[in-house]
Amino acid sequence: MLYEYDGLSSQKQPDAVVLPTTTEHVIQVVKLAAREKIPIVPRGAGTGLSGGSVVTEGGIVLGFARMKKILEIDLENQRARIQPGVVNLDLSLAVADQGYYYAPDPSSQKACTIGGNVAENAGGPHTLAYGVTTNHVLGLEIVLPDGSVIRTGGKFWDRPGYDLTGLIVGSEGTLGVVTEATVRLLRKPEAVKTLLAVYDRVVDATRTVADITARGITPAALEMMDGFMLRAIEESTHAGYPMDAAAVLLLEVEGLREAAEDHADEVEAVCRENRARQVRRAKSSEERELLWKGRKNAFGAIGRVSPNFYVQDGVIPRTRLPEMLEFIGDVERRYSLRIANIFHAGDGNLHPLIMFDARDREEVARVLKAAKEIITQCVNMGGSITGEHGVGIEKNALMPLLFSEDDLDMMRSVKKVFNPLGTFNPGKLLPTQKICGELQVQVLRA
Amino acid sequence: MPTAVEAVKPDFASIVGDSRVVSDPSVLATFAVDGRVPRFVIYAPTAEQVAETLKCAAMHNLAVIPCRNRTKLCTGNPPSRYDVALSTKEMNNVWHYEPADLTITAEAGMKFGDLQHFLARDRLWLPLDPPGGPKSSLGGILSSNASGPLRLLYGGPRDVVLGMKIATAEGKIVKTGGRVVKNVAGYDLGKLLIGSYGTLGVIVEASFKLFPQPAARATFVLPVGTLGIARDLRRSILDSPLQPARMVLLNDLASHFIWQDSSAREKAREPELWVEAHGSPRVIERTSKELEILGRAVGAPVHRLDESRADQGWSRISDFASYLHETQACGLVLKAALPLAASEEFLSRGQQEVEGCGARAATLAQVGLGIVHVAILHESGTDEITELAGRLRRAAVDLGGALVMERASVEIKSRMDAWGDPGESIEVMRKLKAVWDPKGILAPGRHVGGI
Repeated sequence: MLYEYDGLSSQKQPDAVVLPTTTEHVIQVVKLAAREKIPIVPRGAGTGLSGGSVVTEGGIVLGFARMKKILEIDLENQRARIQPGVVNLDLSLAVADQGYYYAPDPSSQKACTIGGNVAENAGGPHTLAYGVTTNHVLGLEIVLPDGSVIRTGGKFWDRPGYDLTGLIVGSEGTLGVVTEATVRLLRKPEAVKTLLAVYDRVVDATRTVADITARGITPAALEMMDGFMLRAIEESTHAGYPMDAAAVLLLEVEGLREAAEDHADEVEAVCRENRARQVRRAKSSEERELLWKGRKNAFGAIGRVSPNFYVQDGVIPRTRLPEMLEFIGDVERRYSLRIANIFHAGDGNLHPLIMFDARDREEVARVLKAAKEIITQCVNMGGSITGEHGVGIEKNALMPLLFSEDDLDMMRSVKKVFNPLGTFNPGKLLPTQKICGELQVQVLRA
Repeated sequence: MPTAVEAVKPDFASIVGDSRVVSDPSVLATFAVDGRVPRFVIYAPTAEQVAETLKCAAMHNLAVIPCRNRTKLCTGNPPSRYDVALSTKEMNNVWHYEPADLTITAEAGMKFGDLQHFLARDRLWLPLDPPGGPKSSLGGILSSNASGPLRLLYGGPRDVVLGMKIATAEGKIVKTGGRVVKNVAGYDLGKLLIGSYGTLGVIVEASFKLFPQPAARATFVLPVGTLGIARDLRRSILDSPLQPARMVLLNDLASHFIWQDSSAREKAREPELWVEAHGSPRVIERTSKELEILGRAVGAPVHRLDESRADQGWSRISDFASYLHETQACGLVLKAALPLAASEEFLSRGQQEVEGCGARAATLAQVGLGIVHVAILHESGTDEITELAGRLRRAAVDLGGALVMERASVEIKSRMDAWGDPGESIEVMRKLKAVWDPKGILAPGRHVGGI
């Protein structure tokens, strides 16, 4: 039953769940499935938010919970070789003493696996400065649907030939099953400054984001939360957020001590010019961790105040945040819904959370309409339907909003090279019918 | 010229116009690739016309090599056939520019130098320093995944591209990615095209993530007497809180060539480590102090270059192969890609092999990245020098890396594959090639495994 869900929804129960511990196990399962033409659905920790690891038409769930060895840590080359079930944060913890870390940091990093991150090309707050998963994966070992194994890339840059690693990252388990990854480790910055800017008007916060970008300051992270979100977080996490603000920005700058200090001063000045009523700097690592704990527990906090919620993952050009927030407010009113806003504001990646009660079918219908309006508006502004959560089964019918039939046909042809029978993670990423469809969310839960 | 070929000229002319289909032998000669001369040069002014031209070429089974300024055509195996040089020279438009969003969308024929000039008015830049320099086109940089030492801090082409449009051999225009800085919708087909050397499709447009120009920059040079010292210094810099923007190790010959017309310093050179820092004046100051401490520990004094000297040096360094080609008539440049900590070991083995062969080599190692360029100057016979290149490739492979010939004569290329063994994933690559280019008309034979 448990393997029926991810963070988005459930569809069908798998026929079997297999928990391999070695690549050889994976090969055997894949060969068996190929012989019987049974679908294979790879799964890490099930924290995904687009249905990438849920089962759509039965088959075998290949769970990587037991393939979680860190195979090699090679600090002199700034690389690690890991099995896909390694939990994201565990890799950073394994090298923390030596002053290194793994940069992509999805909010679920305490639970999510790097295999899942590779499948979804996961992001996180600090990807603003350091890039998403694809910028940190150099090599992969992949089992193809016929049971053959290929290795792509490696510890070094620029292996001659096509960049298959870059193609596989973000392919949502539809091209092959990743059984090993070689990733970059980065040196921890010397200094980190974390700031909380508090606003009485949402528009001042969004303008601050646009101004920071336009002035060429690249913080390591630049997160925004609106008033509703803040209060929900504060009630559940006690992160020290103001209860009466309209919005806050959580900003982080880092690097050499001098760089972090200079940037913190610049950022603070921009916040104040945009009428921040308070700009607080974390004075200790405990205070910093608490501020981040609030941010990273945001989805859980909403779960406490609403029986269900639906999180969006649209992207817009970051200078258009002020008008986008107005648009979301308008959608909220027109559909009589409550929407809490939490954004990776620095890169224009929006996570509006629409709250509802799944037992109220009429409300569910309004939620889906509202969500589609928001996503469509992202596309109209020159943005994207997903910044980091993936397409999965949630948004595959919306792909035609972004891509022409020719674009999608090329993706289908590329998929066939790897997965000719479509048995690997069927029903994901590409539209299943040639029509511009709807969001596909059957059950949403908090 | 066979009549059949002359007969197709009107078909191309109907797509791009008569004046854009050139068959004048003196022009054709300048588009030769590894000694092969095309039958036409076609200048397509729009993405749609690129696609139509490809479709027409496929229909007539004519082989096409896309190009612009031809700064990268020296890399790759000789084409198995070559009928049309398809130039994007007329495609220089900027379609979208959002300085406040730090994004730009431009056509593939735009020169890199023109783009930087365009961005400079807003104090922005695209932080790449590819071989080919300002003359390179955006399409050329992407299709050859051309990166330089700046990759250490800012990443390479694959890290700054947000999306692209590609004209396919079937005459379609395929879009991948988008114009926003974060986007995971659909397969990242752009990654396949980056570094595909024109064998999958023709990149006609690309969107990039831009960066503000650094407030200040400074270049520091440290003489390093031995590879042991160089290794210790590389380790201590990478292990320090410093975040160099560029870091390269030049051997004595490379340093001699880079400095050759300098009046400021002596001509007899020794190996040097060049380190560039970007940031506020305080960051530069701090970098200078830290480097002095790290240098002192290995007995290497730090010298800060004045700006114009540094700019000249970096421009020669990033376009090392062309610079040595132009100034020393160097015709053989190898690029080893290694686990970064193997850089010095490769240099040491390489030096022995080169000396053993009676040749000389100028080496340039991006020691923070594990990318080592070896420019070989020799008077030996082709067989001998090909064997030397083969031994250097084996050394790179032994150390866990690979070695590509970035520039070599046709004689050497006919004896040794430009790319080396592509490994077991070659079958997947062949299938991908067949999907994109079913008739095999795009730069046939030029890429790995004869793709």
